[in-house]
Amino acid sequence: MTRFLALPFVLGVGLLAVSATGAAKLKVVTTIPDLADMTRQIGGDQVDVTSLATGVEDIHAVPMKPSFAVRLNRADAVVLLGLEAEHAFLPALLEAARNPKILRDAPGYIDCSVYVTPLEVPTRIDRALGDQHPMGNPHYNADPVMAKEAARAIADGLSRLRPEHEADFKKNLAAFEEKLDAAIARWEREAAPLRGKKFVSYHPDLIYFAERFGMEPVGTIEIRAGVDPTPGHIADLEERMRREKVDLVVRELHYPAGLAETVARATGAKLVELPVMVGGVPEAKDYISFIDYDLQTMLKAVKGS
Amino acid sequence: MERVHRRWGAAAMAALLAMGSRRVRAEDVPLEELRRELHDLQGQLEKLQGQIKKQQQVIDKLSAEQPKAPPPPATPSGSTAADEERLKRQVTEQVLRRMQPALAAANKTFPSQFNPAIGLILDNVFSYSEKDRGDFEFRAAELGVSASVDPFARGYAIITGSPDGFDVEEAAIVTTSLPYNLTLKGGRFFADFGRLSKFHDHDLPFVNRPTALDRFIGGESQADGVELSYLVPLPQYLTLTAGAYNKLGAANDRVSNTTPRDFSQFTYLGRGATFFNLNDANSIDLGTSYAYTPEVKLDGGASRHLAGVDLTYRYVPLSQASYRGLIWGSELLYNQEDRPVGGFPGATSALSLARTLGVPADAPAVTDPPPLVFKRRNAASAYSYLEARLTRRFYPGFLFDWAQDIDHVGGDTKAYSPYLTVWASEFQRFRLQYTRLDAPEGNDNQFFLQWTVILGSHVHGFRDR
Ligand SMILES: [Zn+2]
Repeated sequence: MTRFLALPFVLGVGLLAVSATGAAKLKVVTTIPDLADMTRQIGGDQVDVTSLATGVEDIHAVPMKPSFAVRLNRADAVVLLGLEAEHAFLPALLEAARNPKILRDAPGYIDCSVYVTPLEVPTRIDRALGDQHPMGNPHYNADPVMAKEAARAIADGLSRLRPEHEADFKKNLAAFEEKLDAAIARWEREAAPLRGKKFVSYHPDLIYFAERFGMEPVGTIEIRAGVDPTPGHIADLEERMRREKVDLVVRELHYPAGLAETVARATGAKLVELPVMVGGVPEAKDYISFIDYDLQTMLKAVKGS
Repeated sequence: MERVHRRWGAAAMAALLAMGSRRVRAEDVPLEELRRELHDLQGQLEKLQGQIKKQQQVIDKLSAEQPKAPPPPATPSGSTAADEERLKRQVTEQVLRRMQPALAAANKTFPSQFNPAIGLILDNVFSYSEKDRGDFEFRAAELGVSASVDPFARGYAIITGSPDGFDVEEAAIVTTSLPYNLTLKGGRFFADFGRLSKFHDHDLPFVNRPTALDRFIGGESQADGVELSYLVPLPQYLTLTAGAYNKLGAANDRVSNTTPRDFSQFTYLGRGATFFNLNDANSIDLGTSYAYTPEVKLDGGASRHLAGVDLTYRYVPLSQASYRGLIWGSELLYNQEDRPVGGFPGATSALSLARTLGVPADAPAVTDPPPLVFKRRNAASAYSYLEARLTRRFYPGFLFDWAQDIDHVGGDTKAYSPYLTVWASEFQRFRLQYTRLDAPEGNDNQFFLQWTVILGSHVHGFRDR
């Protein structure tokens, strides 16, 4: 008899323990490691964060793995860049994940672009203009000032899910902003030699970075975002680069090396290879070291030329 | 200060542009509505301007007052300038923050925003075969619409116009918020059998549906019915599907879709699918499907079993996913049912029978056909293809296709097809294919050139990965 009574008791205690530890942390899945770093800093011990992308991927071509659906299925929140950056994989994964908590417009859907005023918003929606940036350029994670806006959206989202910890999130956000502000002040000083430098990149991944540090984007190797070049486009681009005396060719590490090298060689511009996310290279282990890496690599290239 | 102003200007500009771009999408909005919208927007802008003016006055007042309190020469002008700068920045930020929701709201007031997403796919093939000679084949214009129904479901339809007329390929309701990881689907849709059976023709990696699928399933796995799918709450990805349908297969002529039938004459389906992440770049999808029809009326009331295994290996290097990769996809099918000895004297099956007997296909039907004798028949089929991603544009591949004759009248059909897909962009594709066909009706060499484009809305579905 006591054994029969003991069993439900043990089970009950077990369940309580499970639910208690389950309640202790919000399971957050971010699309890219940049947002994972920010979520960890803001969420503190309230969150358990993983990122779908590792940082070496093209955000427009992250493989849609069923294992991601499993992670999203168990998540309390999904944190994304937004502006259709994750169009290639996230909508389908959210559908496959069957988790109403993180569907678009649910409290657990944290879109970091809500406070971002996008650049390069197309004047009309037409696939003749390419297809990857219909809401404007979504690669704002390369601008540390925009990163503060993303962090603000994350703090909002976490507060929505755990209102009792809103004060903590606000405090952590302020600490993150302060740390980032100090870094921004340093970067703006260090970036002086980059001012006015002209560059061409494979894809418009560095528009916000350029805007922040006074660089001038002249064009892309792609014809339009997401459309690979034709020989005619490359010839035009090289011609323009020579005319405008472009200093740098940026190859984002997830694009093929050959063409960027050829363009750089043909025009006398210096080739720079850059990650566009945290984790893109081993040195870019968190958000600040990622911006640091890109900035220092650019500076090295400019000084070398 | 100048920079702040410039930024504020740029931000407002970008916001207006964003609004403008949204407007373009709603071309079908009546003029009157646009006018009203514009009027509302003007009102909102005026209100905002008013707010900015008021705040500016506050700033002016504050900065005018400030020097009065402390003796003017004592404080260096630098600190007041910095204060003013900060205050202005705060005000600007606040205005921007207030403006954002107003702008967002203004963008969302069109009734047409509720229109479903619409996409159109055009698929054309030029073919040349030694037997059938050349043909420009307009294959299909496939219209797809999809939208949320309400917070609980979404719906979609795919309607195809082809030389055969209009056909509703799919029209289904899918739940979005059932508990316990369940999803219920109802209507007409591609049943969850195997892998490529759920692909529309133009989504296939090659020009034609493999005979292995076409013969055993009957085209796409189209089915009218219901399907319940369950994502098993495990760390390992595992989905289980159960379905009940009138029949399975768009071109399956064993059962009529429009005549009601006993429960024993429905087709019931079970499927399990899982995924193994070998490492960052290598993965395997594995699925097994089983469709059971207790009683096939046509076959004199015997049962039909159709089983399949599908295996897909993928190599996708994470940092090069858009221009490097390899996919190896295979399916094996097994069919067991009662079939008439010598095949049906009907249209298509009779063709092969007639051919083997040396009778012209269009010969008049034999009067008073002898009663059919049925026999239990087992048959198998399989296909396997390997496709590489060499650049962002070029995807060469090779398909091997093999199918036994379900009726055991003719021999096996085999086909070997090298092909090359060239992507002009994500929405335009050319494909060149050669097929060497070894069939009981005779061998053939076939050439295909396919040109496919996508207009409008396009989703990257999870099913047609
Ligand atoms: Zn992009």
